[in-house]
Amino acid sequence: RKRKENEVEQEIEETPQEKKLRLAKLYLEQLREEGEWDVDRTLFLSEILVAPDPIEIRLLRGHKLSVTCLCITPDEKHIFSASKDCSIIKWDVGSGKKVHKILGGRKGTEARHVGHTAHILCMAISSDGKYLATGDMNKLIMIWEAATCKHLYKFTGHKDAVSGLAFRRGTHDLYSASHDRSVKVWNVDENAYVETLFGHQDVITALDCLGRERCVTAGGRDRTLRVWKIAEETQLVFHGHEGSIDCVQLINEEHMVSGGDDGCLCVWSVGKKKPVSVVKQAHGVHGNAGLKEPCWVSSVAALHNSDTVASGSHNAMVQLWKCGQGFRGLDPLFTIPVTGFVNSLKFSTSGKFLVAGVGQEHRLGRWWRVKDAKNGLYIIPLKRQNREAPVPS
Amino acid sequence: MPRPSVCLALSTSEKKQTAQKHKPSPESPHEVTFKKSKIKSPVTKRASNVEENGSDDEGDASEMEKNFALLTQKVSLQAPQDEISGGVSDEDVTGERHQAVCSNTSGSDEDENVSKPARGHGVGDELCPKDDFTKDLSEMSFEKVLQLQNKMGTKAYKKIAYGTMKNRQTGETVKQLSKHRPQEISAKKTVPFLRKVVPVKKTILRDPRFDDLSGEFKPEVFNQTYKFINEIRQREAEMVKKKMKKVKSNIKREELKYLLQRMENQERGRQRQEQYRQKDLQFKRKQRELVQQGHRPFYLKKSDKKKLELAEKYSQLKKGGKLENFLSKKRKRNAIKDRRRMPHQKK
Repeated sequence: RKRKENEVEQEIEETPQEKKLRLAKLYLEQLREEGEWDVDRTLFLSEILVAPDPIEIRLLRGHKLSVTCLCITPDEKHIFSASKDCSIIKWDVGSGKKVHKILGGRKGTEARHVGHTAHILCMAISSDGKYLATGDMNKLIMIWEAATCKHLYKFTGHKDAVSGLAFRRGTHDLYSASHDRSVKVWNVDENAYVETLFGHQDVITALDCLGRERCVTAGGRDRTLRVWKIAEETQLVFHGHEGSIDCVQLINEEHMVSGGDDGCLCVWSVGKKKPVSVVKQAHGVHGNAGLKEPCWVSSVAALHNSDTVASGSHNAMVQLWKCGQGFRGLDPLFTIPVTGFVNSLKFSTSGKFLVAGVGQEHRLGRWWRVKDAKNGLYIIPLKRQNREAPVPS
Repeated sequence: MPRPSVCLALSTSEKKQTAQKHKPSPESPHEVTFKKSKIKSPVTKRASNVEENGSDDEGDASEMEKNFALLTQKVSLQAPQDEISGGVSDEDVTGERHQAVCSNTSGSDEDENVSKPARGHGVGDELCPKDDFTKDLSEMSFEKVLQLQNKMGTKAYKKIAYGTMKNRQTGETVKQLSKHRPQEISAKKTVPFLRKVVPVKKTILRDPRFDDLSGEFKPEVFNQTYKFINEIRQREAEMVKKKMKKVKSNIKREELKYLLQRMENQERGRQRQEQYRQKDLQFKRKQRELVQQGHRPFYLKKSDKKKLELAEKYSQLKKGGKLENFLSKKRKRNAIKDRRRMPHQKK
């Protein structure tokens, strides 16, 4: 009987290293069969990004209240955006028209309305473009089918507003972060909850994930960024902001960029507990003379596997930055004029355009209201210019 | 594009082999403890492995490819053997890790080749001459090795065969890195509702009499620094006297009288202590002079000290003219005591 138990234990016991090894071997086998070999390459952009003409920037209007979050489909053809009026709109990038609109319901109609009835704080789309997940302030996560915008599942379990969602690339694992300071792992295929991770001391304001089984979360007022290693059930804690950290994005598997309400923009490396580079007052100051305060960085975006970072605030511009060698410095590239609160920024996967979700109010509250801002999406095409001139023969 | 992290199914042949090879070797202690802790998952047990896991991430893809290559080789070599575990792959991983951490080049394979006395291939620096030496050692018979040991002496032999402690301690480099690494803690512990917003310092209670921080008690220093307290005491005594004159009720006057008496007694006691201290100091100074002159120092007995004090007292009383008074009182007291002690005579 003991031997049987031991055998069973041996079968179940698989350390994360063993698991990694097994998966890696199988993946390599698969690739060999297919004959492909996709290598991670960092675009160090020998082609420099150039500021686009203001004429080329398109504004897509349709939301009644401030846009809070957006995501671009992996094939770069559609954009989903959500706003404070609890509606979700699917846009077509080429034509700029609305493909589908999921209306928001009024406050008491949770039972019969298909959709959200409270502010939608975050959304995510899976890397194959199949599922769309949205989280709102009513502690719900709704899963939709991206192609048809049909409602599939509703995940309950969080005890407070859901503030961050991300799909792991290549899978249908969903990570969600919430104001109840926990991170939950869900499996969308099987409509199942997997586990919960604890550690944050304050409300979690953002979450991001790439291909590895780990995600990074920004914990607001506890001023920490945490990288959750889900297989090993541990977390890495990073300190370095002075104010609340409001947004975070992964640049590649080892680096991330975050922005806070102290106006600081920080680039982090997974190996160091302090940020690798910091830019203070990234968006200047605002307020009356003598009461100047730095503008809050309300959103950041990073072009995957490159050295380009974008940050947005409410000082009427989206700032693009270039990371230095080894991500050690952040140099400003150029600015794009955008009035209002830039509540969400996303680069397209190939880097062809940048989408900014803009509103009159900050996505988390109503501290200020920029009257001359338009609630909508700005699609900003990014032009490249080759640095090297052609060699004359 | 994404790193190798997609779920795929194991082929059956590999499955059998991995199922059979499951004995972690004793030379990789880290791996064993990690496996045990997987079930219980306490944070403390993982702490030893946490740093390794952290370092694991850096050479991830390359490591895994290396391991895969090694594994395929090993699989082909060890197919006939039965007692190999799925942990062999981990042995390789740990072996690789050991290689990365300890800057030596011996893996598990080399250990099997080298003979027992010369298995410590621990030095990375002096490779060339040592290589030859260990090779020779491995080829010599055990008898000859012993003879060599006797000739050289065990200390020298051990130094060359196993390397010095300095070369062996390569774990320190890893420790230095961990100072800048982010803290790795468990993700499964719930966070209490009341969180630490501002670091509040806990007040440490310390008794300055027994605390090392206060240093040694030196009466001169103490008297010098706290001289002002004596003045305060004098002022307070005067205040009490004044109040005693003013006060009308008898009870309060009695209380104040006792208080004043107490204060005066304390003052007298303090002065007496001072005098004793001064006398001691004088005596010590005299001794020091004698020693400097070359005589040996001598120390008085307690009885001798008392005699000296008595002599001084007498001289002082004589000055004041109270000697006779004092002596008569003393005689009376002694007489009463003696009479009490005498045996009674019963008639």
